[in-house]
Amino acid sequence: MALVVPVIFIAVFLFAAVKKVKIYDEFSAGVKEAVKFTLSVIPCLAAIFMMCELFEASGLADRLTEAFSPLFAFWGIPKELTKLVLIKPFSGSGSLAYLNNIIENYGADSYVARCACVCYGSSETVFYISAVYFASLKQKKLFAPIAIAVISAFLTTVLACLLCKIM
Amino acid sequence: MNAVFTGIFLASLVALTVVAPQNVLPALLGGAEKSLKMAVTLFCIYAVWMGISRLAEKSGLSRAAARGLKPLTRRLFKTENEAANENIAMNLSCNLLGIGGAATPYAVKAISELEKENNGFAQKLLFIINATSVQVVPSTVIAMRAAAGSAAAADIFLPSLICTTFSTLFAVGVYLLGCRIWR
Repeated sequence: MALVVPVIFIAVFLFAAVKKVKIYDEFSAGVKEAVKFTLSVIPCLAAIFMMCELFEASGLADRLTEAFSPLFAFWGIPKELTKLVLIKPFSGSGSLAYLNNIIENYGADSYVARCACVCYGSSETVFYISAVYFASLKQKKLFAPIAIAVISAFLTTVLACLLCKIM
Repeated sequence: MNAVFTGIFLASLVALTVVAPQNVLPALLGGAEKSLKMAVTLFCIYAVWMGISRLAEKSGLSRAAARGLKPLTRRLFKTENEAANENIAMNLSCNLLGIGGAATPYAVKAISELEKENNGFAQKLLFIINATSVQVVPSTVIAMRAAAGSAAAADIFLPSLICTTFSTLFAVGVYLLGCRIWR
């Protein structure tokens, strides 16, 4: 498994070299885009992280976790993941904040952190995407597709927690 | 998002002010500090992957992948619109490579192309595929785990692949089935 990423990199570099791409120039141009992108997300990150800190410090987060964890526990989702699972459909930066918390608090190789990583990696910000994609549409009737995506995300979380136990 | 943000922010603010008003400012400042740390981590991840994906784009590798996907997209999305097909294919290949950020602009273009032929079916299908994430390499989480000192950062590759495949197949299956039944 450790080979996947290096092999992709080698393949892309070799292919680019064969195609006579100016590798250094283009690679730095890609990094330049990364700089722009990072700067563009900082305002959202800052706002969301402040919200998350307040939410945690106020004790509301624990109440919410307590309220939802019996339901989640029934499906085999550890209670540490409750907040991550709940925020993910709304906000990429918010769920990233909680993913980061989980990795720091429980260690990168713990069951909870691995679970969180798989959940994060295999789901998307459903409501955010729906807002971006469907902003320009005239005809709506979007309930069904959004509902399907949300249900599928939940089932995937259940599957992820199961898989992380055995893999 | 505005409503969600305002709701949670205000509720937490009020609750914390009642319990421990002296903790409000430290919490806000702490959050801002964490966001910068996160931004540094994110920058490192994007720098690596956007560098690589730029090479893939300039060498024509992304185009080649998109061309390979085209017969599939034409069938699945039931559209003959060339521009729409091209954008859908680019969107899917960006997703597969785990560069979701690069995928969004293509999807938005494809959606507006599909709007011309009033193809709501394809628009919703594209949304479902994107909203359930089709990612072969979960690059962000692997990099985050590596940064946090994981012994085997990539060992979530297989479970992630199974989960992301399941979520997309399930949602697309339900949607297609639903379209058959309700038509």
